[in-house]
Amino acid sequence: MRRFAFPILLSLLAAGAAHAQPVNVPVLVPLTGFLSLEGTSQRNGALLALKQAPAGLTVAADVVDTGTSPEAAVTALERAAGKPVTAVVASMLGTQMLAMLPLAKDYGLPLVTVSGTASITEQGNPWVFRFFPGDAVTKAAHARYVVEDLGRKRPAVIYQTTAYGQGGKAQLMEQFQKLGATPVFEEGVDTSAKDLLPVITKALAANPDVLVLHLHSAPTALFIRQAAAHGVGVPIVAGSAMHQPSTAALLEPAELKGVCAETAASPVSGGSPEVEAFTAAYRGAFNAEPDAFALAQYDGVRMVLDAAAKGARTAEQVRDALAKGTHKGLAMTYASDGKGNMAHSAVIVCYDGKTRVPALVKRYDSLTGAVK
Amino acid sequence: MTILQLTLNGLALGAAYALVALGFVLVLNAAGAVNFAHGDLVMAGGMLAVALAPHITSFWPAPGLALLPLVLVLMAALGLAVSWLAYLPLRGRPHVSVFISTIAVGIILQNGANALFGGEPRAAPPLLWGGTVALGPLVVSVQSLAILAVAALLIGAQQWVFARTQIGRRLRATAQDPEMARACGIPVTAMILATFALGTAYAGAAGLLLANQFFVTPTAGGDLILKAYIAVTIGGWGSVPGAVVGALLIALFEVGVSAVLSYPVALGALYATLLVILVARPQGLFGEAARRRA
Repeated sequence: MRRFAFPILLSLLAAGAAHAQPVNVPVLVPLTGFLSLEGTSQRNGALLALKQAPAGLTVAADVVDTGTSPEAAVTALERAAGKPVTAVVASMLGTQMLAMLPLAKDYGLPLVTVSGTASITEQGNPWVFRFFPGDAVTKAAHARYVVEDLGRKRPAVIYQTTAYGQGGKAQLMEQFQKLGATPVFEEGVDTSAKDLLPVITKALAANPDVLVLHLHSAPTALFIRQAAAHGVGVPIVAGSAMHQPSTAALLEPAELKGVCAETAASPVSGGSPEVEAFTAAYRGAFNAEPDAFALAQYDGVRMVLDAAAKGARTAEQVRDALAKGTHKGLAMTYASDGKGNMAHSAVIVCYDGKTRVPALVKRYDSLTGAVK
Repeated sequence: MTILQLTLNGLALGAAYALVALGFVLVLNAAGAVNFAHGDLVMAGGMLAVALAPHITSFWPAPGLALLPLVLVLMAALGLAVSWLAYLPLRGRPHVSVFISTIAVGIILQNGANALFGGEPRAAPPLLWGGTVALGPLVVSVQSLAILAVAALLIGAQQWVFARTQIGRRLRATAQDPEMARACGIPVTAMILATFALGTAYAGAAGLLLANQFFVTPTAGGDLILKAYIAVTIGGWGSVPGAVVGALLIALFEVGVSAVLSYPVALGALYATLLVILVARPQGLFGEAARRRA
């Protein structure tokens, strides 16, 4: 665990600051290890939200690197609890979240996270709030786009053999079954696989009408590059890793032509003046491109700060505001389903082969109907 | 035709793994200890290429080719630094001290790369240019052909140096019996340092070549050291040709067996084969050396 020099008091001492006690939101996220890319996005989104806190609030934020071990995350939370805490930006790593949950309940600390691990909101713990849609949401959008919009009924599903990959694949299979589509091929790929031509060859041999991917960032890029090199004409609809600007940066725009992907949001694609302002501010602050994790964490922290601005001063009051309120964020409108799942929308983005910035082509809200 | 295509892909991948394994086995022979930082040194070579590429791309038509000698030299210097810091002060101590120190070097490299470049995967420039060429019905990436050529060149050069030159004979003598070599007047420490430099330069070349096709992340080294270790175990502990054959065999499993079965099954089959070799032929396929495994 690495503790950063930011106990930066993000002193937003707007004229006439109303509250002497700062809103303290420790940021406990993985900045090193295999999840450092996503963890950095999470941190950046949180810090940007804190930097743009509503006038009148004084905000404090300790940033602590939790690495990838549950012990480090628990230690970070214990240390953070040594001071009055308003809410905690908690790791997006599921195993760390599961370790932190009992402690958060004991201390009474709201955990605001973008972790996709389904089980963190299945523990009956009223202190966890997930601002990123889980697989049940994103994979529903993924499968619906494939079946309803592309009209494909013979998908080949290629997924990662990690917990992330297998969880998403299970959801995809369930959704395809509901939609009356029968996967003609399914295979797991280890993250260490270097050459994906074998799996591409086998998938094509099954005569699919669409290739559905649920892979991490580098394997997604590798798959798309090899498919393009071998002239694969079957459309590809990838998982959320594809939307990350760092994934697209690995490929030439021509290799991306026709590729689509599901994601919670794609800030670089714009969509509204507010999202464009967020993207510009993010680039200015971090010299990097924002992804869906950054935007979701930004929205989550904004909801906490809005609650504080409306008078929620204790952790319990913030928890109640998150549990009962609705927040119109930049990516979507958030409301708890009673378990702490706040995000219920997903979008589909597609690449035109000319740039690495995808266009938003479909939005799914509440999974009750598609709205363009 | 698919079989030919997969064979070609497997050969290119195996050639890159061979460079990784070759650097690993050279240091193993010279130092008599496993360099657990070797995978992270391959990663460092890839990251170095990524970092240097923007400075070269603007005025050089084939930036990867221009980067290769630069990466070889800089990585050789890094190899010297690693041996100076993590091997020489500990070489009189039990082997476990060197294992731990090289693990520490690997972790430092990983975290250093993460701090400098971030966690996202990155791609180094291709050696010549990107894209593919058609060889009859086969579609071959230019980078795959470049990997095959560079690996053949470097492995051939290494074999020539070891077999035909005085320094090569000294390096081999040091690897085979350091005490006897010292008794014969060979500067053993200098030879060990040279081997670290050479092995790390090979790691850098592998890193540059792999980072274009397969990308590079700060944590990529863990998988590569495992493959190097397996290649050397299969090929014969300390055997240079064995390391190359072992690397090709790993690629055969990854590409060939996974094309018939699945990748997880191919991995399982690889480890099962490793177990069979350990039981039936513990000295490995080219088991000339009777060195103790770490």
